[in-house]
Order: sequence, then structure tokens, then C-alpha cells
Amino acid sequence: MLAVQILIDGFAISALYALGALGFTLIFGVSGVLNLAHGAILVTSAMVAWYVGTDSGGGAFTGAAAGVAAGVVTAFLTYGLVVRPIQRSKAIPAVERELFVLTGTLLWGVMLQIGLADIFTSTPITVEQLVTGTINIFGVRTATNEVFIAVVSWAVLGALWLLVNRTPAGRRLLAASINPRALTLVGVELDHVHLLAWGIYGLIAGIAGVLLGSFLGTSSAYIPALTGTAFAIVVLGGLGSVSGTVIAAYVVGYLETLTAYLVSPSWRAVPALLLLLAVLYFRPQGILGRR
Amino acid sequence: MKKQLIIAVIVLAVVGIVPLTGVSDYITGVLTMICFYAVFAMSWDLLFGYAGEVNFGPSFLIGVGAYGAGLADANYGLPVVVCIAIGTLAAVVGGLLLAIPALRLRGPYFGLITLVAVLLLQDMIEIFAGTTGGEIGLSVPDVLAVSATVNFYYAFALMVAAGGFLLLVANSPFGLILQASGQDPVEAQALGFNIVKYKVVAFGISAFFSGLAGAMLVFYLGTASVSAMVDVAVGIQVIIAAVLGGRRTIIGPVLGAAFLVGAGEVLRPAGQMSGFIVAALALGVIMLVPDGLLGMVRGRRA
Amino acid sequence: MSVALDISAGTLPETAPAVLEVRGLTKRYGGLVAAKNVSFDVRAGEILGLIGPNGSGKSTVMKMIMGIEKPNAGEVRLNGVNLAGKPAYKVARAGIGIVFQHSRPLHRQTVLQNILLGLLPDRLTALRAGHEAVAKAKAIAERVGLSAVLDRLPATLPFADLRRMELAKAIARNPQVVLVDEPFAGLTGGEVKDFSDLIVSFRDEGRAVLLVDHNVKSVAAMVDRVLALYLGETIAEGSAAEVMCNETVRRVYLGGGISTHERPEAVFAHTEPVLQVENLSVFYGKAQALDSVNLLLHPGEFVSVVGLNGAGKTTLFNAISGLVPYTGKIFWQGAPLAGKTPARIARDGLVQCPETRELFGEMSVAENIALGGQHLPKPERLSRRDWLFSLFPILEARAGQIARTLSGGEQQMLAIARSLMMKPKLLILDEPTLGLAPVILSQLSDAMKLLRDQTDITILLGEQNVTFALPNADRVYVLEHARIIWEGSPTRFAKEMASGYL
Repeated sequence: MLAVQILIDGFAISALYALGALGFTLIFGVSGVLNLAHGAILVTSAMVAWYVGTDSGGGAFTGAAAGVAAGVVTAFLTYGLVVRPIQRSKAIPAVERELFVLTGTLLWGVMLQIGLADIFTSTPITVEQLVTGTINIFGVRTATNEVFIAVVSWAVLGALWLLVNRTPAGRRLLAASINPRALTLVGVELDHVHLLAWGIYGLIAGIAGVLLGSFLGTSSAYIPALTGTAFAIVVLGGLGSVSGTVIAAYVVGYLETLTAYLVSPSWRAVPALLLLLAVLYFRPQGILGRR
Repeated sequence: MKKQLIIAVIVLAVVGIVPLTGVSDYITGVLTMICFYAVFAMSWDLLFGYAGEVNFGPSFLIGVGAYGAGLADANYGLPVVVCIAIGTLAAVVGGLLLAIPALRLRGPYFGLITLVAVLLLQDMIEIFAGTTGGEIGLSVPDVLAVSATVNFYYAFALMVAAGGFLLLVANSPFGLILQASGQDPVEAQALGFNIVKYKVVAFGISAFFSGLAGAMLVFYLGTASVSAMVDVAVGIQVIIAAVLGGRRTIIGPVLGAAFLVGAGEVLRPAGQMSGFIVAALALGVIMLVPDGLLGMVRGRRA
Repeated sequence: MSVALDISAGTLPETAPAVLEVRGLTKRYGGLVAAKNVSFDVRAGEILGLIGPNGSGKSTVMKMIMGIEKPNAGEVRLNGVNLAGKPAYKVARAGIGIVFQHSRPLHRQTVLQNILLGLLPDRLTALRAGHEAVAKAKAIAERVGLSAVLDRLPATLPFADLRRMELAKAIARNPQVVLVDEPFAGLTGGEVKDFSDLIVSFRDEGRAVLLVDHNVKSVAAMVDRVLALYLGETIAEGSAAEVMCNETVRRVYLGGGISTHERPEAVFAHTEPVLQVENLSVFYGKAQALDSVNLLLHPGEFVSVVGLNGAGKTTLFNAISGLVPYTGKIFWQGAPLAGKTPARIARDGLVQCPETRELFGEMSVAENIALGGQHLPKPERLSRRDWLFSLFPILEARAGQIARTLSGGEQQMLAIARSLMMKPKLLILDEPTLGLAPVILSQLSDAMKLLRDQTDITILLGEQNVTFALPNADRVYVLEHARIIWEGSPTRFAKEMASGYL
């Protein structure tokens, strides 16, 4: 019974982690940016969903829609206010540009975190679930919401796969992550590709944030840990590899679930972090790393 | 360079005298915190401004130093000086264990490891709350001094000593090699330098002063706590101070720390939004004036 | 000049031990073989010239010796000790110094500090640079001619002084072996003489010097022996005069005979130029890459720009494509190009197939081609693709293969095919023959002929391989040291200029 429970819980949380980390990988692959404000975007989406849905009484669906929209808006703000100006700034020497983008997104994430704490306090809240009730899976009573989360996560993953592999816009995203200069030479405006990438990122992060909020609850205090987990998963899977991210998400998700159930919930995050350290030391390019 | 040193000495002399002029203990306390943060920021600058490595978890070193000293005192009742020594040693050892493998890696991996280290440390402290006091913190029976003024002078002495040493190092051949390692690793290697070795030593120096300051901070505040020493937010404050003040100058981070702590106090009525404003300012600085406050001042002169 | 050659050929005792022994050095990047089984010796007090066109592997060999690249196979022995695969700092400390092709000064340090860096001991505890170190740095600066600018920052120095600083840094550690990578690029005649003298003085001090360059003639006066590389393999070895006469070398550089088939001028005389370049100048920091270049192309014309490495061809093409800033004017179909993004310029029909090919390495051949045709409606894309497959049948055979794993020639064909997918009105080809075997060259040349005769695409070809540049061209420009020095028909070129190109 416990085994089944672990299997189910682990699956749901892993799927969610995959979704959460995927946007991070996408932006790194296409824009070359490690967005340290990632956790802040996730939590902003959740907070807005809660505010519109629960606090203002808009209902779960409206709340969720608002949350996802907030994710997109925040992603664009991150790109337009922070990332792009730093990338284009003539005052910053080229060799330090990456460092400055990293630091810039870190500071922006701090701003978002404090802003959210100020508006909503850091007391954890839960986003209203889109589906309620329980369902019986192999004898284990599971929240339907959990199943819903797993289904939605995989649906989004599938949609993203379709986008990248079957649509012209998606092919351009993939091409940009392989050779941006070549893409310019075949007549594609890189600016447009980046805008698309950040928009998709915001959409994915928004969905992930709202679902996370309904499953584990959310608070501005969770932001550093969320960024850390996403970063860890992406590096574990290999920077720039989408399938690597998904696999790593499942490794981390199951490690966390096993630890929470078999050892203690407060030890939850530790094994994954230790695994990350080990991977960084012995195989820094991750499971399926390419760059 | 010489002109700036003279100005720095004069400013230091002035600041050093302030607590004796009868200002309130509150002001002295603020100046004390500025000294501590100045040391944190200067240590961070050695790594970022010179070696070109971003340490996202300076609070790992501060925290290890702080809790090392705090646990030694709370559990074994050792003399304060010994506790501080233990804390500093712990920070150096912990830092080197982390850095030696990490500095071999390119790109963002080093920064990531430092961030993970902070998260792990935070988790460990909360898991073993029985020993460490967890989220509440660890009270220590001893303090450095009771008088605010004496405490200030301990911190001031630390800042001057650390600053002096770091300036010496930055302008020494070691500093030159370190800068080369950060600016152009291929060139530095082609000239015969094992850049990993230099970066590790720089990290060790950074760990020494961060740990020492962290340990002393425990005996100033009377407690070792996550929120004051380990939290990622503390690390971010350090980064803000260094970048705001002006990287690669050693003196700049002192200015940055003064601005950071000062602004934090001035903006206290704004509640936690004071942190927001400071972060926004820092973001503005790195976008518009990446050389920081000191860079702005230098720019005018040039 | 010839006297110097004779003397140098005679003074080196054949029995002098080799200081640097390279054996079987090999390097592969995916499907491309950059260097294959390269072996040679360099003795103390000798300058060995390693020559070859771009893509011949000479820079790769140099980087492998210095430890900047790891060889897949082979040994690099310095005084009998194998250094292959060791990190660069160990190689440097063992006694090898390198003068990089592109200057890499530390921008925040003065000239003196830059040179001093190379003299510092690899010790952690030095708190002050010793007096001897500073004195030595000053002496080295004096030797290379930098005494006057010791306290200046690199950003304020002229180009030649930055190159002098590279020479100074390379000998700071008093190396037994000095590697020099293309030392004369970007220098004026007088500066070239100074640098030659300096490098010869290194040799005269008893060091072993390995000099890498693409042009035999420019280094002939200095070197004692020459090794010629092509496609990563050794094709000739001997004195400079012997190598210049070598049959294989002549074929590779000149490619065999020159034939010309230009169409009469009258065909283009009354047409409006489709591309007009006026007074174009480009600066990379201090170095002037293009100096008041004027150029024009008529619709349907095939124009070749002939020039050696570093002459400025790639810069010219990048300026036209909008990839680098420039001063001067460029008109495309009558309208100025200024202000348009590079992607817009490409979409408007001005397409470049760059020297580096810029393929989507991890995508398949078919995917690369599809990306070239993404702006076309589907039926047109498919028919155009079929046409390209008929032009380059090997691409159809390899349609599903990942681009990175193709051979050099196949990658070049793919790059051209992808550019042609974009329905260019003007196609710029930058050194398509780089690193390709002669058999592929004739295939490419046939494809060029077809494009010229059967389509109305205007073609601008940049080449150092004169045999490839001439047969299909209607007009030729010669670009040398950032300037256009000659313009005319291919036939006139063959008469007047061709002999200068070995």
C-alpha cells in the first residue's frame, strides 16, 4: 500500500517538477539565460491565482486563468526589464555579460519575493483546486487533483513536444538553441524567436505555478527553494536537454517522495541536493547534457 | 590609487572617531553592522571582481563560521577567542571542500554549487534543530563586549585588518595572476599559471574573512540564527553591497555596505519594502553603472 | 633576399638534436578531420615554417602542441618528455611559449604589468614583484620596442604595439620553443620587417621556432625549413624554395591550370547595379579591416573577390550582410541597406553562405534545408528542394543524416543548398573550398557553372583559391590588406596577377 502511494505521489510531483523545470531549460537553450527569478515567476502565478480565485471569490477556473496570465506577464517583464537591457548594455564588458545577467535575475527575483511578501505576507496559502474529491487507484485513496496535475503536466509536455517538432515556430526555437547565427542567416529575426521563447516560458511556468500552489501550497518564502530545485533538476538532466530535464525531474521527484515517506518530511529536499553535488563533481554535463 | 588610499584613510579615521563623540548606541550599532557587512562584501569581491567567479552562497561561509563558533560556545563553553577560531577554521575547511572540486568546472556550475551549499546548510540546521536551535536560533552565553562602543571597535578593527590584507593581496603579484585567471583563463594558462590553484586560494581567503566575521557576529548579536547568517537573503545582501559599491576595488564594497545598511535603516518605516527598494537600486546600478558607486565617482574624475 | 636563404640553409648542423618532436598528431571534430598523423621535428636555433591554406590544420596542430586542444592521438615530446594532452600551464612551464594570432591583452593592466605577468613565478606567496622581475620586464619591453608605452593601457595602443606585446609575453618565460601563429596579419610593410627581425632574433638566441602562416612567400626569407599541410596532412617538406616548387603544393594552392570563361562586358553594361558598395570601411577596435572599398555587381553577374587570408573578404561580406558596423554606403537594388536587420537583408534576397558554413549541426540534412525554405509556400519549397537535390544528389542520399557527421565537402554542399533554398537574388559565397579535397572542388565548380548559366542569381564569390575563383567569373576584384588593389576580367587577371598567388 505504501509502495503504491509512493509511486502515485512521486509520479504527480515529478510531473509537476518536470513542468516547472522545463521552462527553465527552454530559456537557457534558446536565450542562454539561467533565470534565477524562476521561482518568483512560479509563486507569482500561484499568488495571483489564489487572489483572484479564492480571496476575491472569482472561482477556481478564473483564478487559474489569471494565474497563468500573470506567469506570462511576469516572464515578459523579466525579459524586457532585466534580461534584454543587460544583454544589450554597452557599459558591460562582453566577458562579464553572463555574470551580470545572472546577478540581474537574482536581484529581480528578490524584488519579486519581497513585493509578494509585502502584498500577500509570507503565510503559505493554497490555490483552490480545479478538481476536487478523491479517486481510488489500486486501493489507495488519492486526491483527484493529484491525478489532474499529472495529466495536465504531461499534456503540456506533449504539447511542447508537438510545438518544437511539428510547427515552424517550434523548429525555429530549436534552431535558435543550436545556432542563432545560422538562424539569422536564413532570414529569421532572433528578437521574435526570443519573444516567443519567453512567452512560452511564462505560459509553462504559469501553469506549473498554479498547479504547484494547489498541490503543495505556496508562499513567497518558497521562492529560493523552488529556483534551487528547478536549477538542480535542469543541471542534473543536462543543461539544454529537454528529455534530460524530464528524466531528472522524475529522479528528483521520486527521491523527495521516498525520503519524505521513509525518512522524514523535513529531510525531503536533502538527498536530491546531495545527488546534485555528486553529479556536479563527477559528471557536470548531467545525464543527457549537450553543451 | 594613492590619492584614493589617502581619502580612504581619512574617511576611516573620521568614522573611527564617531562613536567617541557621544552619538547614540543606535548609531554605533548601525556602524558596527556596516563594518561586518563591509568584510563580507570585500571578501566576496575578491572572488567576483578579481577571479571572475560568482559566489551565490556567501552566506554558506558566514553561516558555517557563525554556527561553528556558536555551537562551540553553547555546547562546550570554550573561551570566546577559541570559539571564533573554531568557527573561522570550520568556514575555511568547509569552503575549501566545496571549492576545490567546484572551481574546476566552467560556467555557472560553480555558482550553482555555492547556492546548493547554502540550501543544504539551511536544511541541516533545521533538521538538527535540537542541537542548532533550528529556526529560532542558537543563543550563546558569551558576548564580545557589553558596551556598544567596544563592540564597534572590535568590528572596526576587523574591517581595517581585512581591508588592508585584501588590498595588499589584490595589488600583489597574486592579485595580478588572479585577475588574469578571471579575465582570460586561456592566456593565463599559456603563461604558465595553474588558474585553479589561484582561484582556490582566493576562495580560501574569502572563506577565512567571511567565517571570521560571521563568528564575531555571533558574539555581537548574542545568537546564531538562520535569518541573520545563513538565509539566501543574507547572501544576496552581500552581493548587492559589493556590486553597488563597485566591484574589483576592495574599497567599493565598503561603500556599498555602508549604503546598504544605511539605506536599510533610513527606509525602515517602509517595512520590508526597504529590501525591495535596495534590490531595485542595485539592479539599476548594474544595468546603468556596472562599475558601481565607486565607478561613478571614478568616472567623473576620468 | 636569396643570400639570406643560402646562409640559413647552410648554417644548421644536421646533427643538432631536435628540441621539439611531434609524432602522429591527430585531431577529429565529429565528422571533420582537422589533423591527421602530423609529424615533424624542430631543432634549437631553427625556424620551421608550417604552412597551409585555411582549414589545413596548422592552427589546430599549434593548439595541440600548446595544450589548448587535446589530441586524439600522437605525441609531443619536448627534450624527450611527452607533453601531449597535458594542460596548457604545464606545457608553458615545461618551456613552450606561444604568440597567439589575435592579440589578447589584459585590458585593465598596463603594458608593463602585462609583460610582468609572464615573468612571475608560479608561487602563491609573492607579495611584491621582485626588482629583477620588473627589470627583466622592462628589458623585454625595450627589446620588442615598447619602452615608450610601458604605463599605458592596451586600449590606447595601436595595433602593431599590441602584437609586440604578444611577442614580449611569449618569451617572458624564456622558452626553448616559441610557437608563432600568423604573425604578420594586419601589419604594414615596415612593421613586418621589424617583426621578422624579432622572430629571427629568437632563433639566433638558440630557441626552436615554429612559425605558422598561410603564405610561403611571406615567410620564405625567414624560415630554415618548411612543412606544408593540406586537409590536415603533410604534403611536402624541405627548404622554402623546394616546397614552393613542389608539384603537389602548386596544385593545391594554384589548383592546376587556370581557365576563364567570362561573358562579354556588353551583357552587363546597360544594367543597373544590383549591389553597390561605396567607400566602405570597417574597424575592429584598432585594426582596420576594410579601407574605402568600392565594388559593384550587375544583375546575373558572377564576380569573384580574390584575396589571401586576412585580406578582408569575410569582413566585406559581413558588412554587406549587415553583421558588422561600417562607415560608407551600401545600396541593394537601388535602396540603401543601412538600418536593416541582417535577417531582413537575407529575406530580401541578399543571402550569404559564410566561411564557417553555420549549419544546424544537430539537425538532419533535410531539416537544415527545410529551415532555409521556411519563408516559401509549401509546394514551392518542395519543388525547390527537388531542384537542389538534383544539383547535389549526395544530399538526397544523406537526407536523414545529422549535419555534424557529414564530411567537409557534404557540409559545404548543404550550406550552399540551404542558402539557395532562400531564393536569393544575390548569393555571397565565402571561401567555399576551405579544407576541401580537389575532387569535391570540381563538383562545386560544376554546380557554380550551372547556377551561372541556368539561373539569374547574381553571385559574389570570395576565394583565395584562384583556380576555383576564375572559371565561372565575369569579373574579378583583388582585395589585399583591406583595400581593393585591382579590378578586371578573369583573362586579364590570369595575365597580370595570377603569378602572385602562390
